[in-house]
Amino acid sequence: MRRADLKVGPYIVVLLFGGVVALQALHERNGGPPASTSANLLYLRSPEAVERLALSYDSLLADVYWIRTVQHYGGTKLSTDPNKQYDLLYPLLDLTTSLDPRFNVAYYFGAVFLAEPFPGGPGRPDLAIALLEKGLRAQPEKWEFAQAIGFVHYWWLEDYEEAAAWFTRASAFPNAPIWMTPLAATTLAQGGNRQSSRLLWEQFARTAEDEWFRTEARRRLVQLDALDDIDRLRGAAAAFEQRYGAPPMAWSDLQGAGLLRGTPVDPTGTPYRLDAGAITVDPGSPLHPLPTEPARLR
Amino acid sequence: MDAIRTEALTKHYRVGFWRPRPYVALDALTLRVGRGDVFGFLGPNGAGKTTTLKLLLQLIYPTSGRADVLGRPVGDVDVRRRIGYLPENPCFYDYLTAEELLEYFASLFGYGPAERRRRVAALLDEVGIGAERRLQLRKFSKGMLQRVGIAQAVINDPEVVFFDEPMSGLDPLGRREIRELVLRMRDRGATVFFSSHVLSDAEALCSRVAILAHGRLVGSGALSDMAAFQVRGWELVVNNLTPAALEHARSLGRIARADALGGSRYALELPLSTPPERILADLAAHGAQPVSLNPLRETLEDFYLRHIAAAPTDRGLGAA
Amino acid sequence: MRIIGHVALNVFKESVRDKVLYNLVVFAVLLIAVSYLLGQLTAGQDVKIIKDLGLAAIATFGLLIAVFIGIGLVWKEVERRSIYSLLSKPIRRHEFVLGKYAGLGLTLLVNVAIMTVAFYAVLAYMNTQFPENVRAAWPAPATDPGMLRAVALVFVELLLVTAIALFFSTFSGPFLAAALTFGLWIIGHFNADLRNFEAVVDSRAAAYAARALYYVLPNFAAFDVKTQVVYALPVPASYVAMTALYGVVYIAMLLTGSVMIFARRDFK
Repeated sequence: MRRADLKVGPYIVVLLFGGVVALQALHERNGGPPASTSANLLYLRSPEAVERLALSYDSLLADVYWIRTVQHYGGTKLSTDPNKQYDLLYPLLDLTTSLDPRFNVAYYFGAVFLAEPFPGGPGRPDLAIALLEKGLRAQPEKWEFAQAIGFVHYWWLEDYEEAAAWFTRASAFPNAPIWMTPLAATTLAQGGNRQSSRLLWEQFARTAEDEWFRTEARRRLVQLDALDDIDRLRGAAAAFEQRYGAPPMAWSDLQGAGLLRGTPVDPTGTPYRLDAGAITVDPGSPLHPLPTEPARLR
Repeated sequence: MDAIRTEALTKHYRVGFWRPRPYVALDALTLRVGRGDVFGFLGPNGAGKTTTLKLLLQLIYPTSGRADVLGRPVGDVDVRRRIGYLPENPCFYDYLTAEELLEYFASLFGYGPAERRRRVAALLDEVGIGAERRLQLRKFSKGMLQRVGIAQAVINDPEVVFFDEPMSGLDPLGRREIRELVLRMRDRGATVFFSSHVLSDAEALCSRVAILAHGRLVGSGALSDMAAFQVRGWELVVNNLTPAALEHARSLGRIARADALGGSRYALELPLSTPPERILADLAAHGAQPVSLNPLRETLEDFYLRHIAAAPTDRGLGAA
Repeated sequence: MRIIGHVALNVFKESVRDKVLYNLVVFAVLLIAVSYLLGQLTAGQDVKIIKDLGLAAIATFGLLIAVFIGIGLVWKEVERRSIYSLLSKPIRRHEFVLGKYAGLGLTLLVNVAIMTVAFYAVLAYMNTQFPENVRAAWPAPATDPGMLRAVALVFVELLLVTAIALFFSTFSGPFLAAALTFGLWIIGHFNADLRNFEAVVDSRAAAYAARALYYVLPNFAAFDVKTQVVYALPVPASYVAMTALYGVVYIAMLLTGSVMIFARRDFK
């Protein structure tokens, strides 16, 4: 190699480096390796086996599975495939919490999203409860898990007696907050009321130990506000229909009738949608999809 | 055109891990070696001989200065076709046989298969490796490896050949064979540049020498012209020397020192003032029988010792 | 080119003399033993398990050869000082580096080729052990040539690992070079996690850093289509070609870097 050859070396390296990055970007644009079936994405489903294979790296591996959980949930939620499935959500959460039983955010994540019905989640409140009960076995002092189980019964299973029973159990924990007892009573008395839902989420927003969970609770509260908005807008639409015999086709119809001023926007500033008389949040809004409320409210 | 030419060739190494400081391995070496010379590059261990050789083969790059071989800058691949190199304590691929190693090296010169076989067979004969040539080199002794090393250095009939300590690891017979090989190369017209810390190797072979100490050139020229190596007396060994004859010679101031070697045998040191033939004739007239007469001169070791004592021992840049 | 060829052949000769090819015997024994044991134990998934195991073994044996010989290619010559006499011959330093690389590439090619032949031979034998109606239920025939796509990508991956090992060994000792190479290999297989790292960190800086690493570090995960070929899922030829091109460009970059570093080195 002569000195002259050496001088062009750095340029060649920079050029090839550019090629590497460009090809990697192209690789990503094409969606990575050809899809394998999702069952193959998870080679080992048995937490016991993974725990053994993890040797001394179980915490680290728990982190890896946690990252995969978030990816799997987020990726599936964003997917436009009508046949999408959240079938790995529970196994991944189960693996994460088996490898690291104190991985609390995983339990809460499961409590919220495992129970969420399709397309926002797999709609498996039973698995959410199973995961939280596993958490309670690992950390019997955590009243938050008992509260969360009650919450799943309340919100998704609409079983207010069972929910109140769990809140009562939670209030008996040594370090449980004092508002837990009134929460149990309210739940029993007026379960399914949006106001009691708001109370439940406000408690989470105030006390949840994880920032992610607090943010999620605040989002749910805003969704409840949006539900209030929609109720009011539905009232206006009903009035319109009563007056003109046909549902409003656009917000301008309601404005023309003097029932509305301006275009209504949800708490995030995204306009509500009026579609053939039905009023919903825009699919592009961060609030979409709104929670399915317990039947008694509808 | 000189075979080898260096101008203020300098090499600094950085030594020390945390606070590297420069170490002067070779300090502004300027040297000329004519074509056809057998040139001895002398100096104690650590004087910078191997550093110089590596610079001449571009195994290391100089800090400053330049070096040409056969009129071209070192590192020129075309020049390397015309030179050979034997590293100090050579080491080769121990999974190859001697034959395979030489074939591999010959292939790098672009010789065809038949030519390779011819050269390899002839060379192995020349350096005295017989049936062992089919053995893997891991089974070779140090002396055998040295022979293989010499063979690989001259596989291309080089015009200039660099030998780094070619005699090391060889028994007296081997040393003599190497001397004969060097002389044959000289007769073929090749330039031989070899380093050694043993003066007698140089005396037996070299037309010219350079002497290095502490990375600096401390003397160069023909050995016979160098003041430090001029004859400063004679050593005469005689038999049958009678005490009377000894006393007589001593009284005339013709004997500087006399050591009895047992019986009537003596080693006498003669001063330069009187021609040794006269003293010899005188003693012979008294019945003494001469055994040997040798010139006395400073040894390379004495020379080093003087220079090492004189030179600064710090080879950091500050002192240089 | 001729010089590079001579150096490469010498590397190949060294690996043969140092008994590297013994790993082929281990590979064959492993495959035959496992297929025999499976025959004793279960029914149904035997061929799939042999396929999984065979492909994984080809990749793993190749990886060990690539790393452990790769780091020694240059380092051993310098350490044993055999490089002194070699570089005094009419050979340029980049010819030395490229010849060494090509030699290990040849060794890997021969290894992977022989392992693949043995792999298909075992599968062909297994194929005769099942009746037609069982074979019909398999997602792919036992000797599905589609698996060669996975083998091809494994080979390119091994060449990339070799280039990484060679690159590190031009300036560091063997232990550090092995650790760095294995480290990159592992990170490269978690590449997808790196891409999605931003989903789980709050810090923008960390997200950007992860993103940058995702683009810069070798994406070894892209070379792994073993599961897909076992299930006979489509692996388009264009995907194989693009991924191989990615590997080749990455290798070219590493080799240029290795040559640059090596050309400036002093052999003290």
